[in-house]
Amino acid sequence: MAKLSLRNISKRFGDTQVIHDFSAEVDHGEFLVLLGASGSGKSTLLRIIAGLTDPSAGDIIFDNLRVNRQSPRERDIAFVFQSYALYPHLTVRENIAFPLALDRFKGWHHIPGISAVARRVFGSSKEIAKQVASVSSMLGLDEYAHRKPGGLSGGQRQRVALARALIRDPSMFLLDEPLSNLDAKLRAELRGEIVRLHRLTGKTFVYVTHDQVEAMTMATQIVVLHNGVVQQHATPQEIYARPANTYVARFIGSPPMNLMTSAVDDGQPALGGLRLPAPAGIRLRTGTVTLGLRPEHLTVSADVGGPGLAGTVRRIEDLGADTLIGVQPDPASGLKMWELNQDDLLWIRQTGQTRLMAGDPCTVTPEARMASYFDGDTGLNLAPAETSAALLPG
Amino acid sequence: MTTQEAPPIPRPAPHKLRLKVPGNRNFSKPARYVMLAALVLFSGFPLYWMLNTALSQDSELYGQAQGWWPHWERLADFGDLIGSVPIFKWLTNSVVIAGGTTLLSLVFAVLAGYALSRFKFHGKGAAGFLLFATQMLPEALLVVPIYALFASLGLLNGMGGLILANVAFTMPVSVWIIKGAIDAIPYEIEEAAAVDGCPRVTILSLVLTPLILPSIAAAAVINFFDGWNEFLLAKTFIAERDLWPASVGLASFIGQYLTSLNSVMAAALLFTLPALIFFLLVQRRIVSGLTAGSVKG
Repeated sequence: MAKLSLRNISKRFGDTQVIHDFSAEVDHGEFLVLLGASGSGKSTLLRIIAGLTDPSAGDIIFDNLRVNRQSPRERDIAFVFQSYALYPHLTVRENIAFPLALDRFKGWHHIPGISAVARRVFGSSKEIAKQVASVSSMLGLDEYAHRKPGGLSGGQRQRVALARALIRDPSMFLLDEPLSNLDAKLRAELRGEIVRLHRLTGKTFVYVTHDQVEAMTMATQIVVLHNGVVQQHATPQEIYARPANTYVARFIGSPPMNLMTSAVDDGQPALGGLRLPAPAGIRLRTGTVTLGLRPEHLTVSADVGGPGLAGTVRRIEDLGADTLIGVQPDPASGLKMWELNQDDLLWIRQTGQTRLMAGDPCTVTPEARMASYFDGDTGLNLAPAETSAALLPG
Repeated sequence: MTTQEAPPIPRPAPHKLRLKVPGNRNFSKPARYVMLAALVLFSGFPLYWMLNTALSQDSELYGQAQGWWPHWERLADFGDLIGSVPIFKWLTNSVVIAGGTTLLSLVFAVLAGYALSRFKFHGKGAAGFLLFATQMLPEALLVVPIYALFASLGLLNGMGGLILANVAFTMPVSVWIIKGAIDAIPYEIEEAAAVDGCPRVTILSLVLTPLILPSIAAAAVINFFDGWNEFLLAKTFIAERDLWPASVGLASFIGQYLTSLNSVMAAALLFTLPALIFFLLVQRRIVSGLTAGSVKG
């Protein structure tokens, strides 16, 4: 049972500061996802929690106990590695039994030579064999018990790694991009498996990934990291509905939120030539703001000349259940896409198929009340956290 | 609309591809056998000739041309040929010296190789270089200083001292072999073991050592043969005849006026056998090490 508190953690490698003053509280039983691009410091943070890396400053607290100086073993955590890190010379059964066998070691069992015998003897004891059997049947590993990791597929190897983590009944599970080396179908399957394990054990999970789908589907809390700085710490729903800043807005969602520069006059933002109603709950000052609209909050029609933004269809991506349409706004509409958008297209998500073809003229209409507004200079979301909560379903 | 059973997903037909090993196609099977036979003959003939000579009489060796076929009937006299010297005592000494050298050298090499591979410490580069530098100095250069040192430490005329000196010369190579092997093992495996509750020494003995076994076997072969063949130090340090290793004993057959060639060859044959047996024992591990090096955790 562990509640995890991280207080003012920072980490430097030489001259590079990888983590800047990170603080977070994670309640017992939460599923926290550390989400970020590569180099964001998310893996380092996880290793600091595990005790595999020492922080340069700050405190790691497990339930009121400062564990900075404790070894990974003493912290009673389980760690699942991206590369599985199974013991190649041991069978699946022996791999899973390894932590339990080690738990029974007394001081003198660690003497080289004796340790190999002790591991074998303890590992094949009835009690451990029973536990191994129950965990491996839970993860569908029964038939591979006597194989070595080299004879398993990637998905099976990661299952073995999960079983090895699970069998110890640790206070906390730490997972470092466990699904990154797997193909899409297996990833979806194991995602379900990990969520199931989380429900089953009720333990705290800290999960590192760069994959927003994993984050959105598994997490109860997400921390978005960028260059070692926390961008937002919130529930997946809030992160999607009210990204704290333009970075999060562009990082979450596929395709990400459309961002454009909007001139504000008398509290009313403009979308190109289109004047939008003043947003509820936010007082916009005259000047410019960054306006964000998710692809599903835009609709596109073939009627030219109707109310809305005129543009030309440039890209169509049919995903089956829905279709992504990339529209280039007419220069005449006066719409200016945000400078950091990768392409100058306004992406629209539409359910089902479309009759539009690339090159067709079209009109785009926004669902103005769903728009997000960010400070033009700092990029911070102008809406206070509470108002967006009202937009959440339920 | 009637429901129709989904057609089976077509699978690619199993390929009847032969492994394309470069060079393999250039020779027919008989040609390959002929070449292998030539190789076996080439490396096996000296052994055979050693046996043949050992079973010949001195008169044949110095007088007439030596026959192609060994005189098997002389096998019974084999004992007499070498009975005049304590050859089995010498061989036992050699086994003790080579075995002790191998064991001690490997223990040090695994520890040193691990430290050089995984730890950061001051003087790490220097330590690695110094180990390397020992290989640049010829043994002959160091015999005298080591002799003086051993004389004052009372290590002369004993196998213990000889083992120590041998280890000093053979260990650096083993350290480099084992460091290389540990370098190739993903770090995460060690971290996983640490999370599972292993202290350093247990990580090394339970996880790393089994994984680098092929390299340890390779280092063992090098150490054992170095210890087995070593002559200069043994000849210098050990005066007592009963403590000689076989290499020194063998040399004592060479007389100033008379060298009994068949006795030398008989003894040399006995000297070769244990080394051959040791190699046969470990060679499978070495070969498997060459192919199984790419285990990914």
